Amino acid sequence: MIATPSILNDVTKCIGCEECVAACKKINDLPEEDAPPRVGRSKDGLTADRWTSVVRLPEGASVRVQCRHCLEPACVSVCPVGALQKTSDGPVVYDKSLCMGCRYCMMACPFGIPRYEWSSVNPSVRKCILCFEQLASGKIDKPACVKACPKEATSFGSRDAMLAEARRRIDGEPDKYIGHVWGEHEVGGTSVLYVSGLDLSFLAWQEPTELGESPLPDLTWAALRKVPFEFVGMGVLMTGVWWVIDRRMRLQPKSSDEPGSNDE
Amino acid sequence: MNRRIQIFKGILWFIVGMAAAITVVRFTRGLGTTTALSDTTPWGLWVGFDVMGGVALAAGGFVVAAIAHIFRREKYLPAARPAVLTAMLGYAAVAVGLLYDLGLPWNIWHPTIYWNPRSPLFEVAWCVMLYLAVLVLEFLPVGLERTRFRKLYRFLLRLQLPLIILGIMLSTLHQSSLGTLMLIMPFRLHPLWYTSMLPELFFVSAICLGLAVVIFESTITSWLYKREPETEMLSGLGRLAAFGLAFYMAFRLIDLGRLGKLGLIFEGTGASVLFLVEMGLCTLLPLILFAIPAARRSHNGVFVASSLCVIGFVLNRINTSGLAQVWATGTEYFPYWTEFVVSFGIVAGFALIFFFLQEHFPVDPEIQEDQEKLRRMQLFELPRFDRMSRIWLGDTNFAARRVNSVLFVVAFALGLALVPWNPLVEATPVQRARGKDVLRVGYPTGTVQFPHKEHVKRLGEDACGTCHHLNKAGDEGTPCSECHRDMYLPTKIFDHFFHVSAVEGATPCEACHAADVPKVEATAKVCSECHRKNMMAPRASVQEFKHTEAPGMRQAMHRVCIDCHRKEAENPEVNKPDLFRCANCHRTPIPHRQEIREAGEQESEVFVKNPEPTDRTDG
Repeated sequence: MIATPSILNDVTKCIGCEECVAACKKINDLPEEDAPPRVGRSKDGLTADRWTSVVRLPEGASVRVQCRHCLEPACVSVCPVGALQKTSDGPVVYDKSLCMGCRYCMMACPFGIPRYEWSSVNPSVRKCILCFEQLASGKIDKPACVKACPKEATSFGSRDAMLAEARRRIDGEPDKYIGHVWGEHEVGGTSVLYVSGLDLSFLAWQEPTELGESPLPDLTWAALRKVPFEFVGMGVLMTGVWWVIDRRMRLQPKSSDEPGSNDE
Repeated sequence: MNRRIQIFKGILWFIVGMAAAITVVRFTRGLGTTTALSDTTPWGLWVGFDVMGGVALAAGGFVVAAIAHIFRREKYLPAARPAVLTAMLGYAAVAVGLLYDLGLPWNIWHPTIYWNPRSPLFEVAWCVMLYLAVLVLEFLPVGLERTRFRKLYRFLLRLQLPLIILGIMLSTLHQSSLGTLMLIMPFRLHPLWYTSMLPELFFVSAICLGLAVVIFESTITSWLYKREPETEMLSGLGRLAAFGLAFYMAFRLIDLGRLGKLGLIFEGTGASVLFLVEMGLCTLLPLILFAIPAARRSHNGVFVASSLCVIGFVLNRINTSGLAQVWATGTEYFPYWTEFVVSFGIVAGFALIFFFLQEHFPVDPEIQEDQEKLRRMQLFELPRFDRMSRIWLGDTNFAARRVNSVLFVVAFALGLALVPWNPLVEATPVQRARGKDVLRVGYPTGTVQFPHKEHVKRLGEDACGTCHHLNKAGDEGTPCSECHRDMYLPTKIFDHFFHVSAVEGATPCEACHAADVPKVEATAKVCSECHRKNMMAPRASVQEFKHTEAPGMRQAMHRVCIDCHRKEAENPEVNKPDLFRCANCHRTPIPHRQEIREAGEQESEVFVKNPEPTDRTDG
């Protein structure tokens, strides 16, 4: 498998034919018809049985959405049992045998991608896995969605190659494209990149400026890093306070009505 | 016998019965049936209240233990045992709540062997597990006090201090780590709640809430068991709570000021109102009440202040894990009633366990003595006879058990009767579609709720023919899949997927779309350019129809039939002058029904068997 496999989606080229959706459903053995939508489903059309979908913008453009396979994925960092893993090759994959169904990954994803099988009694988290198994075993040379695209609106290659291609397209037709590669820097970079003639900031929960360019796992790690010190510190503090107060109480004559004060 | 506690327990048993019924559905039909959770709101009431709120509510255990045993304020010792018991049951309730909320509850033990130390939830899971074990060991001496396991009892007593310190250490970690959980989602959590200080704020608020819970629980217990409230101790705890609350409020406001977000408080948006309500309930009002000595010393004063504080901080946890995220997700999650029942049911169940332990073990020695005196008196009671049902109810205790069992069973049955058995799918408004509000679809037939009015609005008033009378074989009710290829996302009737595979070659797109223009419907070739023979009727009037939509009923029927009908009506040889009148066709039974059906079947058979090669004129 190539290094950091990436997908470049070119919104200007997408005709919205949904070939990618059909191909994705086929290779991942998903039912052709989605389950009935739940109240409060997201507007991007992704469901537990539809791992990529085409969002149609009022401007007439079509934008394909799927898991971004972040370079430093929030979902992987928050999973308490490591059911979501970023493989050494790059795709973010899911191991149901570890999952306990806490759905923290769904909360932590800045793009709101993971979906849940709400009507199942044995539910899984479902999302694009970048055709990981078939790619790794060499059965296919590019993900099914990329292969199915009739317009080369979505292409596949190493991340460096895709970034170079994105830059080449933007520089080649600066009138057609906005000079920004979505996914190059957002939340530390993603493996699914977008070039477009329209603003794509709606693809995340928040404006990219607010999402920031630093990886999200750093935010929790900043707090978690302190945990061992807090743990030991609190233990030492409590033992110390007890020792001081206990000693003071033992030395005090018994007639006192108010035991030692709580200053340390 | 104390009727107050009996009625209270009866209510609890009723709630537990309802929750038991929901439990059956939760574990046989899944989360989708019993919750309103969705992909945009994957955490709901069960996380916000049962887990986040539950852990915070159980903070009383470590706070009072620290005050009484570490800071050696011995007047608070009577509160320590009930607080430890509440904490133990609280954490057990959190574990039970998690079993409901987790999608795969049988994997709840996984964090013990599958590790991801970078996850705050992993840390919370470990701390909660360890702390629950610590709490059991802390409480065990109470259970063993009046048994003959003296050695074990004395051994555990000697362990108390290290256990208490360990408990405080573990509590510090996971109370704050519950705040860490939210640090990774600055994009979901409203700026008024999101701050890098969330762990610290959660820890401080847990201490305040811990004090409030102990006060709340003590006032409730003394009211239920009709005992004198321990005013002196409660007002002391209230004073401590006032300091804690003042610190919390200052901390939170200074932190908001540091981030320059103070202006958001009075913005007037939903989130700012929510923030004001939360701060008012959890800090401002209780702080005022606890700060006034007269209010602190009155039974009602501490009760009101502590309940406000409890409600406010639970609201804080619910806000942080859910309500304050609606701002970003825009979803209207409101817990389904089954979620409330389960949440309250878990609380009710553990409250019953609390009462049982309090009545049978020296948690509060005086209450236990009272209860034992009552139980001894009951031995000499005459069994009661119920005239209505003509049965002997036994002694008061036995009668109470009977009443509670009946309440449980009735509630269980009621729950089973009311609970939904199918997942909650998007509510579809039902409009009578041609005299029916549900449509028969598929084969063998199923039914589906069909929002007819919505369709009319979306497609236009005169677009009946988009669905009705498509001239398909056996055209009684056009299947929804004609338009909705996946039933829920509307697409045009034109099947793009089929066309791409049918039009083989190197440049399939250019076969229909011109090379250098956007590839949209407006710039595509009309169907009749390829499908001259097998799709478009020869009549010019029919060819005017939109090529990507099925002809409307009026269009189809009027344009196809009317010309001929008019001609034949004037033909004396046919001698049917009514042939051109409206009612000739607009009647039941529909005329020519059989012929139309057969013609449609033949046509579709021909089409399937011999797909005509497409004529490509260009591209």
